Amino acid sequence: MDTFLQQLANGLTIGSMFALVALGYTMVYGVMKLINFAHGDMVAASAFVGLMVYTQILGQTASLVGVVAIFFITAAIMACIGVTLERVAYRPLRTAPRLSAVVSALGASLVIQNGIMLIWGPRMRIFPELVPQVYWHVGGVIISMMQVIILVLSLILMVALYLFIEKTRMGAAIRASSLDQDAARLMGINVDSVISLIFIIGSSLGAVGGLFIALYYRGITFDMGWQYGLYAFIAAIIGGIGNIPGAMLGGMLLGLFSAFISGYVSSTWADAFTFMLLIGILIVRPTGLLGERVAEKV
Amino acid sequence: MKKLSVAGISIFLMVMAVLPHFLDSRWQAVAITFVIFSVVALSQDIILGKAGMFNMGQAMFFGMGAYATAILNSHYNWPLLATIPVAILVPVCVGILLAAPIVHLRGDYLLVVTIGFNIVFIQVLVNNLGGVTGGPNGIFGLEYLSIFGHELRSQVAVYYLAFAVLLLTLAIMLNLEKSKVGRALHYLREDPLAAESIGINTKLYKIFAFALGAGIAGLAGMVYATQYSAVSPEGFEFIQSVLFFSIVLVGGSSIPGVLLGVFVMFVLPEIFREFSTWRFFVFGFAMILTMILRPRGIWPATFGKIPKYMIKEKSHGA
Repeated sequence: MDTFLQQLANGLTIGSMFALVALGYTMVYGVMKLINFAHGDMVAASAFVGLMVYTQILGQTASLVGVVAIFFITAAIMACIGVTLERVAYRPLRTAPRLSAVVSALGASLVIQNGIMLIWGPRMRIFPELVPQVYWHVGGVIISMMQVIILVLSLILMVALYLFIEKTRMGAAIRASSLDQDAARLMGINVDSVISLIFIIGSSLGAVGGLFIALYYRGITFDMGWQYGLYAFIAAIIGGIGNIPGAMLGGMLLGLFSAFISGYVSSTWADAFTFMLLIGILIVRPTGLLGERVAEKV
Repeated sequence: MKKLSVAGISIFLMVMAVLPHFLDSRWQAVAITFVIFSVVALSQDIILGKAGMFNMGQAMFFGMGAYATAILNSHYNWPLLATIPVAILVPVCVGILLAAPIVHLRGDYLLVVTIGFNIVFIQVLVNNLGGVTGGPNGIFGLEYLSIFGHELRSQVAVYYLAFAVLLLTLAIMLNLEKSKVGRALHYLREDPLAAESIGINTKLYKIFAFALGAGIAGLAGMVYATQYSAVSPEGFEFIQSVLFFSIVLVGGSSIPGVLLGVFVMFVLPEIFREFSTWRFFVFGFAMILTMILRPRGIWPATFGKIPKYMIKEKSHGA
């Protein structure tokens, strides 16, 4: 029972990080029907940018205000990079065949990943300990303050995003553009700015996710983007890609699943089990758990 | 145009046939690598370019062939050439088994599932399943090629083995274009629904394309294991699959385009070795730039006799 509760806590923490990153994938996919392969590397980049902000701007001092500043500055920088990425690599390919945009996304991924390597070097960097190591023992389960912060902040961000998408005019524009871009354009929605907006939101959420990953695991490498990006993308697919609550659900489920696999079965086979789960879900429900069951347009 | 391409192919093949005699051993090794990776990229082209399935796990089939050869040679003392049928059949069977439940998935989902297969495959190799894969270090110390008990120690022998595999692959590709299967795959890629409605068994042909691509990649894997007389999981990582995927699309899924892509991706870095840390950074930019300037690839494939003005750019939405 203790193992169960412990893995539940770990799973929810990992899951909320997956969910934050998955939102970036799912929003871009929803509107552009494009797997933004560069998103995972953006997440990795945000960890390094956070490290840079900490050492260069804050002069290696960690106060509460400083930590908040790291999050905001990093998110702003990543949002700018995200919008630039879309302008340069994706917008010219809006009308090109699907696969051309996929190759462009893979190219962008290589550029960002190797850009990190060229700037910060190929070796692992250790992210500073910005959150005090406080642990609570709750009925035999050890919960760290970091885990609580990650979980609470992620939930707040996700609820805020959900309300933004469902209740505001801009959110309605995003929903309309992901249903039908041409019809949305005819209704007077500026799809170009909607796409810029989702890159701003997606990249900022990814930046928060990346900083959480850096704070939680501490070791950051230039190529960690593929690993976390792939998991987050699987989370988005499990939930039904293009579906925002789906990405949150998928992230949480995947986090719990991988925590329980590592806890009860074996951590060396965690990837294999995750992909088997994905393949199983796709065979039973080809559009994911919350995806609409639409007949395929060809 | 037709004459030009025939002339081009024959000049290319003639140059390739005498190439190793003009190179020192380092460049011979590069030439072998070029030929092997060309075969893998062409096999990827069958699945991705010809059948239009977004397969991002081709390195897995390549690795299966290589590991089949390595395991049979090192643990069971099969001569290298005798492992060829197994190196082909294992990926073919696995390809059929894996493809059957997933070929109906739409493009992007198929892509992620094939990425998954590749990652599971690497995990199987690293965790040394069944105790025959050698774990993270792989298997090394394979024998030399031998024909009738006569050992061929020179690299040139490996080159000609690779070259023979390339010739076979090119012959398959050229015949595929003219055959019923090739026409079916082409139709399938352009419009699956219409293909289905005129009686093409889409599922069967898709699985066939997977099996064919897997088999050819497996054969290339056998040559790869022979060249290095070793195999290790790094050679078949998912990043390799990404490279093959990109080569086919950047090249334009035509034979010259794919060969050009392999040349740029694997031979140019050997020439510009001092810039090796910049390699993928530059390639990334090149991929973006190529797609913006030529969305259908550097050397786009043409099919049959359809005049150019009749081929409509399709947006392939949803």
